[in-house]
Amino acid sequence: MKRNPDSIVNVLGKTLYVDDLPENAGMLHGAVVLSPSAHGRYSGLDESKALALDPSVRVLVAKDVPGQNQLGSAVLDEALLAEGDWHYHGQVLALVLASSRVLARRAAARVQILGREDLPAVTDPREAFKRGDIILSPRTQRMGDPEAAYKDCALVLEGRVESGGQEHVYLETQGAIAWPEDSGGARVISGTQSPAATQKIVARVLGVPMNRVEIETRRLGGAFGGKEDQANGWAALAALGAVKSGKPVKVYLNRRDDMLATGKRHPYSSDFKIGLSADGMILAFEADYYQNAGAACDLSPAILPRTLFHAAGAYRVPNVRVTGTMCRTNLVPFTAFRGFGGPQGLFVMESAIEQAAAVLGMDPVEIQRKNLLKTGDSFHYGQDVEDARAEATVTRCLQKARYETLRAEITAFNAAHKDLKRGAAAFPLCFGISFTKIMMNQGGSLVHVYNDGSVSVATGAIEMGQGVGRKIAIVSASTLGAPLASIRIDSTRTSTVANTMPTAASTGADINVMAAKVACDEIRKRLIGVAAARLGVEPSAVALEAGRVYLNAGAAATGSEARRDAGLSFADLVNLAYEQRVDLSAHGFYATPGLHFDMKSEKGHPFLYHVYGCAVISATVDTLRGSYQFDDAFIVHDIANSIDPIVDMGQIEGGFAQGLGWAALEELKFDDKGLLVSNTLSTYKLPDAHFMPRMDVEFYDKPNPTVVANSKAVGEPPLMYGIAGYFAVLDALKAAKPGKKGFYDLPMTPEKALRFLADDEPKEQGS
Amino acid sequence: MKRVIRFRLNTRLYEEEVQDEALALDWIRSTAGLKGTKEGCREGDCGACLVLMGGRAADGSTEWKGVTSCTLGMGDLDGRHIITIEGLAADGLTPVMEAMLDEGASQCGFCSPGFILALTGFLVSGVSIDPVAAMAAVEGNLCRCTGYGSIRRAAATLCADFADLPAGLAPRLALLASRKVLPPELAALMASPPEALGVAEAAFASIHPADPARVTIGGGTDYYVRNPDPEPDTAPRFSDQAPEARAIRKALVSGQAILELGAAVNTDDFFSSLLVRAMAPGIERFASDIASPPIRARATLTGNIANASPIADMTAILIALGARLVLEGDPGGERLVELPDFFLGYKKLDLHAGERIRGIVLPGEPVMFNFEKAAKRARLDIATVNSAIAVRMAADGSIAAARYAVGGVAPVPLRLKEAEALLIGKKPSAALARQLGALAYEAGSPISDVRGASRYRRRLMERLAWAHCIRLWPELRLEEELLA
Repeated sequence: MKRNPDSIVNVLGKTLYVDDLPENAGMLHGAVVLSPSAHGRYSGLDESKALALDPSVRVLVAKDVPGQNQLGSAVLDEALLAEGDWHYHGQVLALVLASSRVLARRAAARVQILGREDLPAVTDPREAFKRGDIILSPRTQRMGDPEAAYKDCALVLEGRVESGGQEHVYLETQGAIAWPEDSGGARVISGTQSPAATQKIVARVLGVPMNRVEIETRRLGGAFGGKEDQANGWAALAALGAVKSGKPVKVYLNRRDDMLATGKRHPYSSDFKIGLSADGMILAFEADYYQNAGAACDLSPAILPRTLFHAAGAYRVPNVRVTGTMCRTNLVPFTAFRGFGGPQGLFVMESAIEQAAAVLGMDPVEIQRKNLLKTGDSFHYGQDVEDARAEATVTRCLQKARYETLRAEITAFNAAHKDLKRGAAAFPLCFGISFTKIMMNQGGSLVHVYNDGSVSVATGAIEMGQGVGRKIAIVSASTLGAPLASIRIDSTRTSTVANTMPTAASTGADINVMAAKVACDEIRKRLIGVAAARLGVEPSAVALEAGRVYLNAGAAATGSEARRDAGLSFADLVNLAYEQRVDLSAHGFYATPGLHFDMKSEKGHPFLYHVYGCAVISATVDTLRGSYQFDDAFIVHDIANSIDPIVDMGQIEGGFAQGLGWAALEELKFDDKGLLVSNTLSTYKLPDAHFMPRMDVEFYDKPNPTVVANSKAVGEPPLMYGIAGYFAVLDALKAAKPGKKGFYDLPMTPEKALRFLADDEPKEQGS
Repeated sequence: MKRVIRFRLNTRLYEEEVQDEALALDWIRSTAGLKGTKEGCREGDCGACLVLMGGRAADGSTEWKGVTSCTLGMGDLDGRHIITIEGLAADGLTPVMEAMLDEGASQCGFCSPGFILALTGFLVSGVSIDPVAAMAAVEGNLCRCTGYGSIRRAAATLCADFADLPAGLAPRLALLASRKVLPPELAALMASPPEALGVAEAAFASIHPADPARVTIGGGTDYYVRNPDPEPDTAPRFSDQAPEARAIRKALVSGQAILELGAAVNTDDFFSSLLVRAMAPGIERFASDIASPPIRARATLTGNIANASPIADMTAILIALGARLVLEGDPGGERLVELPDFFLGYKKLDLHAGERIRGIVLPGEPVMFNFEKAAKRARLDIATVNSAIAVRMAADGSIAAARYAVGGVAPVPLRLKEAEALLIGKKPSAALARQLGALAYEAGSPISDVRGASRYRRRLMERLAWAHCIRLWPELRLEEELLA
């Protein structure tokens, strides 16, 4: 079974996403009324024109919420439905129900805001910081003494770095369907990465205990972090509508509403100071990160520390001081997005290196190579560097890209061309794996073996295209000794596996595969006991493999007697166990071992392991127009032992594409009043096939003994390779303008490129 | 408006009363109940809703194109055949699906039906079956999961496996059926689309000044972006897609050769016309700068004009080519308007009550042509600015005639007569390019918006002026001096 059964359903067009499920008769559809500006007050809503449109129309507002009108988790600062004011463009003011979606949308457009008064909006995190409008407290991590170290530096540089937000553009927009329950609760099918968190919020909004709310998630049409916390509101609105109307309610956003109303990757504005020796050794690094958190806390407190943890990138820096602050602005609450604060921190370090290299007259690659982490070094957060793979992957990637030759070719090309300039850059990756909040590193499973030999595996993992189901199936099959085709991964339901964590932080496979394995091990033990009794041998002599029972399992080791098929299939054995009243179900639980972190000292062991890798990207800039294209991307990625190479290749290429989009294409734009102006796919451009370079990806496959199947998490790390794309274009631009100082304002755009090439002022009237 | 139309969906023939303005996407999903066609953006920008549409081409033959069903009105399905993923999957996995599977090209799967339909459409209609052409065929499809590596590998596999496709539609359909790309029952129906029930109306009225709610739409690729949930009482009327309205003809008027373009000529028709290509050699290479394959298959030139976007690519191209509009009044009177003069102000047209655009007239003399477009993304993006130029050279190497169009720097598309005056009589040189650039830099009154700052637009105007000169006279190697 080489082909992923999930994908077979996909290509046949049969996969049922939220909006594809059969609709019950009488189902109502919800549409939302969104705030029209970034900050404002209002006295109420005039619903009369909406109600007049059709008898099925009903408008729900904050006062209709039976429980708490509150979406916040870390901080209770986010209303589900606005109560007299709004704090960002796209905040939900009302839910409009009607008998069809088009009718609901037309009705929502007819709801009038009364007494609207726009208030001043803050969009710049530094301005919010100056006003003291921050969320929780700033966090600082330190190692050594940068101030003292600067005295020994040949070069000390300071600079400012900006990085923009990023819209997830999961192709399936946010949505949920809720059915009212006679308990006062609801059953909800939700497009969420975190059913347990959604369950908690829905229960809170309905004012019922969690046991009266069931959340089921089947499969997501993409998520990338955007459906971690941000899915909760839509499920809560659907549940609210269902409970108030007594009918099933579907809330499914159109793209524009989704882009306006849901959080995205955090924009950051940062200052850095770096000190190096004359030969390019990094001796000290300091940074202040002003995280634009948006109007509400959301997941910002979890995202910020990941920026700090990754501040020094893949480099050994003996003296570090990094401080991050969550700044509250009048923009949509920013949220999780693949990389989770890591990319923003890494871009600052790479910007510092690029600038330092320019001053020292070195190729940035030289500084990158000289400072790579080695086993035995220490991360600035106190964790020892174990099994470092930075040098191995970087060396291999530079070799693969023929870096020296590539440099020479680029130099020759640039000497011969005025209208085109080429550039290249490398990015060494080191990314920590585990939820940075220690308690989140846990997961459960429930495995049922049915008496026909088929197996159902339920975990907390959400399948969203990343192939986690495939990995769980492969490991479950091998653990049970069942045929791979007999495994079915169940939908994720809060009533099947409780208190699960979001499928996020790249840990979906690590945690949930382990939880499934624990349950499968238990069932396997019982089955082997049944087989041993039947065959009259010791359990140690029985093996279960790929659907068959074998005798003399240890034979190969002892050499006494050849292993042979015992004449029992997996299904026969299951049926035997069933007849003998042996439990064919098991619950599994896994908590990642060895993690600890002290928030006070900001030291500990927050990551189970790190993922390494390297990308070398080349680009060609059209110096006349400022446009550019990416030519080649060479990637060597530390995948360790790949459970499914096709799935992993897809994660690496796909993650890289999102990173390249973030770095050099996708421009999330708000106007100076805080209105989102890139609010459709015609104004927000993400990579298409034409944009992507040739990709040559190689697995670095040294096993990782710290997790199941010796594999490594793969979801987020490859995204960071996109950072090399920014610097490849900058390298080409600098070839056109030798000696000109670079700019560090991600994403790269043709506009910024042409401004650089034409020596136009960075900011001018009306820009 | 409700009316009865005749169309085929997969293998089933419908004679059905439909709401004219309703989106085909909604009808397919809700009324026909086929959920494999996905809504990703509802504005033609992602391809998740892509379906194959069969119908009559300008020459009366049967043509198959991928189109976005979110910008397709039900009223336009009369006489057409639509294929969705369910139609392709009727007999199980096809080689296109298998290629996607084997490469892992379907991750979350939401975009997969659209890609599979686009690639299948490519095998049905593609002229050259090679990986570059195959990937060009999916330029209207976005995938957020794969990074396109696996899709490229799948496309390459398909091209290798189907390198031997015959040229004509009928033999090709037969071969694709025999090799299971198309279910045989479906393939057998694809050569002949159903006859339309509606009456052809061979003209296109853009915006009705007396009744702004009553618009007639061309392909709908602009209209539905602005009206994603059209109100039933603002029902648009559909322009005729009958072959004669899509014709591009050569005619002689007072001894001068001209080209006449029908009201329903779409972007594909324009760039594939041999008459257009003869008039502006090499113009077809700019087709890929415009929108995407499914949009080009639907977007009409007159619709692009009537939509009156200051940044309309086809409008800029047509201004440079010297287009005039044939406007037909209700009593049957006719007048010709120079295209630049048709735009009175932002979205304001020189169109009298009851008048409609019946066609476009282009001068027939051959010109040297260049089109420049600056956008954030090279494919399927709206221009930040655009510019088109057409020149004729005198025997002595000087410029005998020039037309210069710019978009995105004013409330209307502009013809830069000063630029033309500067060029005429001069020999191309770097100095002339600089003068042209300086003039273009000052053109219009560009604003700052999501696509770029005003200063950037001015700088682009200068650079695109240089680019025109570099591309029109490559032998002069003007870039050496301009970029020194």
